[in-house]
Amino acid sequence: MTQNRFRQWFENAAIPIVAILLGLLVSSIFVFLAHSDPIDAYQHLFCEGFGPRGCQTFGDIIVFHPQAEDGTTQTVFGPTYGSGGHPLAIDVERATILILAALSATVAFQAGMFSIGMDGQLVLGAITVAFLGYWLPNQVYALAGIADPKAAPESLLTIMHLIIPLVCIAAAMTVGAVYSWIAGYLKVKLNVNELISTIILNAIAVQVVGYLVRNPLRSDFNSTARTFRIDDTAWLVPFNRGILPGVEWFSGSRTGIGIIIAIVAAVLVGFYLWRTNAGYEQRMTRGSRLFARFGGVPSERAAIRAMLISGALSGLAGAIQILGVERRFVDGFQSTGFGFDGVLVAILARESIPGILLVGVFFAGLEQGAINLQFGDLPRQLGSIIIAFIILFNSMEDFFRRILSRIQSRLRPPQRTQLAEAPGEPST
Amino acid sequence: MITFFNRYGRAVRIGLLIAGVVIAVLFFFGLPVILVQSSIRLATPYILGSLAALIASRAGVLNLAIEGKMLLGAFIAIAVMYKTGLDPLVGVIAAVLSGGILGFIFAVLYLRIRINLIILALAVNLFIANATVFFMRTSFGAFGTLADPSIHSLPVLSLPVIGNIPFLADRFSGYNAIVYVSWIMVIVVWVILFRTRFGRHIRAVGQNREAAEAVGINVTLVQIFALTLSGMLAGLAGAFLSIGILSQFVENMTAGRGWISITVSLFAFEGPIAAFFTSLFFGFSEALSFYLQSQPNVSIPSDLLLALPQFATIAALVLVAVRIRAAELLKRRNFAAQFGQELANLKRGLVGIKD
Repeated sequence: MTQNRFRQWFENAAIPIVAILLGLLVSSIFVFLAHSDPIDAYQHLFCEGFGPRGCQTFGDIIVFHPQAEDGTTQTVFGPTYGSGGHPLAIDVERATILILAALSATVAFQAGMFSIGMDGQLVLGAITVAFLGYWLPNQVYALAGIADPKAAPESLLTIMHLIIPLVCIAAAMTVGAVYSWIAGYLKVKLNVNELISTIILNAIAVQVVGYLVRNPLRSDFNSTARTFRIDDTAWLVPFNRGILPGVEWFSGSRTGIGIIIAIVAAVLVGFYLWRTNAGYEQRMTRGSRLFARFGGVPSERAAIRAMLISGALSGLAGAIQILGVERRFVDGFQSTGFGFDGVLVAILARESIPGILLVGVFFAGLEQGAINLQFGDLPRQLGSIIIAFIILFNSMEDFFRRILSRIQSRLRPPQRTQLAEAPGEPST
Repeated sequence: MITFFNRYGRAVRIGLLIAGVVIAVLFFFGLPVILVQSSIRLATPYILGSLAALIASRAGVLNLAIEGKMLLGAFIAIAVMYKTGLDPLVGVIAAVLSGGILGFIFAVLYLRIRINLIILALAVNLFIANATVFFMRTSFGAFGTLADPSIHSLPVLSLPVIGNIPFLADRFSGYNAIVYVSWIMVIVVWVILFRTRFGRHIRAVGQNREAAEAVGINVTLVQIFALTLSGMLAGLAGAFLSIGILSQFVENMTAGRGWISITVSLFAFEGPIAAFFTSLFFGFSEALSFYLQSQPNVSIPSDLLLALPQFATIAALVLVAVRIRAAELLKRRNFAAQFGQELANLKRGLVGIKD
């Protein structure tokens, strides 16, 4: 039993790892075409993405030999060496939103809804938060008759700091859920292809949010339109500014309470999908809607519920990005495509919760490394090219299995294969 | 609403058709010439894109990679002209070929290696969107836009007979070759689909794969051909964007037109002629938002106007779905009316045997 489970786990992990290696291998052709050395480029990419500051080679990512001021070298463990801030902390900041978007995608996929509307829901959630985070505290100050927020009594600020982020997050989740519900309702009641409807809904959300940022919510005449900065009481303070001020590992990153929220959300989603009746119902719906209905599962309700949860998670992702990282909505955020990246994370992680956490950080690091690579001679699009190939190879599972079984049958003597297949072993 | 649709379906359809023709004629001759011209120009990528989408979906493959194929065509057209300095026609041919090759690769990956269709399309789109920018930077050293004084857009052609009629000339004539080709392609695709053996095979494969296979049609080959053709049309649409309207390549210049093309084909029930008119409507709504932006005394926020085609698309999706649903219900109701009595008799008989 345990051996079986281990084997299953190994097989599930093996294909993504092979896919990552193949993806890197094929993408190196592009590095080559750009007249660069692939090994150098990857070393740079991974060092910028995952290694400590001053990392030069692949080895430095794990075992790093930094030079102290007095000229002596010491040997440290790379991932925990945080002098000058660690890129991993920035990856985690970036991964937070990816993980939440990937969870959102997973919940939708697990109900058989191929919704990629995370972008639209996320952006709408973000603009909601950017507005409420500024407007709500000001309303409270006006009600309390305080002209200068700095002169407000400490107790009021504390209470506000406890309540306002929660209100903002709840509002963003509601907005995301409502927007996601549209696609779910259209799918369930009218059989509108959810992929196409969510793509169009994304485009609408991007236009509407762009309008809001550039017109009614615009704060100043900065050349890039942006909203007002959210009030300090709505801010989810990053670790290095709040509870862990002295930890150098976090310096330079805006990693904060958001990652904890994301992990809690991941655990809750895992619990919901695999340990509750509702989750079972929606997973049944994925297999076959008709079968689920004959089995007594209210499949339409389950699908709509999945879309609502998915939308709420996307809205949460947008809320955390604004409340914890950006602190204001800057024009252009609506077309960064975090939601789409989240979908890719969910696909590569094969919709498993631990996988999403790992792949989220991996993709964030890859993109982060590629952004810094731009300072060299390669454009940052290399990161996305690698990701595209990884996704492609990852979904070649069927092909790999066919090749593997062909090799196996060639290696094995024919009479033994017949024996092995005889006693009703499930052949795939 | 559904009963209403069923009862008066034909009357409603004819009424809408007449209203549509009247409105189209009024618009065509009543609106400013610039607006009509830019609608026709902006409709061209949708015409070609929706033809690409409908050929693939007639063959039973939802081609979601049209966006990527368009973008590749747009890039290749400019890149080839930049490198060779040849006639724009060479760029167009290169774009069509590249779209076809990508379509072929897509078909092989989907049909032979059996990658999930949606994931494959997402990966291809992601790859093309980034690879075009990657090569723009590394091979051409360009940031954001790839343009050069040596790159010319396609020459404007005026039609031989219509070009001389005063009122029609400025509306029908005076576009570049791809616009006329797109009109011809509508007819060509219609002929291919409904008047040739190959088109019959495509439709057979799309309607019932197993049955087509049983009759002896090589399903895989038909689908590969359909996807290649679809890729070529999408490549042509991309070439129109880069050297038809402008003479430059801009990062992500398709801007979702591939996706809208798919909805156009859905809205048109995968018919080439209907797709042509639907594309004109989408082109018009896009042209209108640009036109109103340029008018000094109209103060409608331009961002919301740009969302107009998308709102139209969602409305179209809902309408299509309602129509399909209505047709289904009608079928079911007719079936029940026809066979209900017999079924009841049959059931009674079966129960009787059991007893």
